[in-house]
Amino acid sequence: MASADKLINTDVPEKDVFALHFLQSLSNLRTQNPLLNSPDKSIDRVKKIKNAAYVSMARAAGGTSRLWSRALLRRAAKDDNKSVRFSRRKRKVTWKISSKRRRSNQRAPVVEEAAERLRNLVPGGGGMETSKLMEETAHYIKCLSMQVKVMQCLVDGLSPN
Amino acid sequence: MLEGLVSQESLSLNSMDMSVLERLKWVQQQQQQLQQVVSQSSNNSPELLQILQFHGSNNDELLQSSFSQFQMLGSGFGPNYNMGFGPPHEAMDECISRTSSCHMEPVDTIEVLLKTGEENRVIALKNKRKPEVKTREEEKTEKKIKIEAETESSMKGKSNMRNTETSSDTSKETSKGASENQKLDYIHVRARRGQATDRHSLAERARREKISKKMKYLQDIVPGCNKVTGKAGMLDEIINYVQCLQRQVEFLSMKLAVLNPELELAVEDVSVKQFQAYFTNVVASKQSIMVDVPLFPLDQQGSLDLSAINPNQTTSIEAPSASWETQSQSLYNTSSLGFQY
Repeated sequence: MASADKLINTDVPEKDVFALHFLQSLSNLRTQNPLLNSPDKSIDRVKKIKNAAYVSMARAAGGTSRLWSRALLRRAAKDDNKSVRFSRRKRKVTWKISSKRRRSNQRAPVVEEAAERLRNLVPGGGGMETSKLMEETAHYIKCLSMQVKVMQCLVDGLSPN
Repeated sequence: MLEGLVSQESLSLNSMDMSVLERLKWVQQQQQQLQQVVSQSSNNSPELLQILQFHGSNNDELLQSSFSQFQMLGSGFGPNYNMGFGPPHEAMDECISRTSSCHMEPVDTIEVLLKTGEENRVIALKNKRKPEVKTREEEKTEKKIKIEAETESSMKGKSNMRNTETSSDTSKETSKGASENQKLDYIHVRARRGQATDRHSLAERARREKISKKMKYLQDIVPGCNKVTGKAGMLDEIINYVQCLQRQVEFLSMKLAVLNPELELAVEDVSVKQFQAYFTNVVASKQSIMVDVPLFPLDQQGSLDLSAINPNQTTSIEAPSASWETQSQSLYNTSSLGFQY
């Protein structure tokens, strides 16, 4: 589980933690919206379950210690119209704008373009420098794969044989 | 007379400071030579000009350089010699043999003055009469030396100036020059290799190295990324993997949404103990599978979470656990398989 590289610390908690958080968020979802099982809101329910999965993943993976998890939680709080404030560590900088200002001819354009696409995928990637983006992506991928495993287990367990 | 003596003594002191071991040899050599010169000059005491010229010519033959002749004559003339004493020092740096000769001459003249009192008077008189001509000659030499110094490169010129001003030992001069040369070499090493030397490109290089290191780490995480070569291909692969995972999450959430009615339909009369039992089973399976991994105390923490954090939602959490209870055996199998890392 522990990563061999000490410089890049992308330790992910155990799968049980993800499972617990996900179940908890699912149960929260049901108590908040008791009318979820009505068929006309199936799409909304999918969206909510997906959000619950992401939020639980962010909570399981160290809460606000990671940039992507902070971004996910902030987005979720924004969706819920809750005013949740995190302690700001950094001045918010959008690297998209600053990267355009830079001398683009000195950088490999293909890599930068790919990194730009990756920024759109990773939550909170817009405010990251490229090397930081790589680190966060590594952690995000680990957590996502873990979450997918948990959900797969749930689906397999719940699905009728 | 006295002034000339004093000035020459001071000069001799300066020369004492500046001279090295080489001077001793020259002293011994030129003492003999100058004693001969003095004897000749004492014989020809009334003809002062001839003596001095002879004196100079003798030394000229000894030193075998016209440049040193001017210095010889200049050293002989005390009060005005101070005027022209600077440039010979600059010239000293160019050649060690010349420096040694320069240092020697004032000492020799003083020895002459001390040994032969009559010659002292003669030379002092000469100092008063001759200086104008000699100073002109010295000025010419000064100009020549200055031109030479100017033609040299700026760094070397600076080092020369420093050396002439401060250091007397040629060994120190060479060491200083060597260190400066080493610094210059260090600065220009990257340039010689064809690498950029300015700060921006160096920072850019460090940044690129950092990114590539983390990309390698990502390559280990993302499956199938080892086959791809090149940063762009790797990044494409990573992006595809992230997208795939996100789509998988979406798909699984859809499945869960479809399955959720079954969860809803599940009976709510299943207790927390069964929920705990499910997790303890999982933990037991984990314990059996991998021992060295630090265990997460799920049975305790699960109950704590359920009781402490959301005490009012225990029933709702029991609901999914009810459905799990119905399919406990199958879930246990799948989960135990899935929990193997």
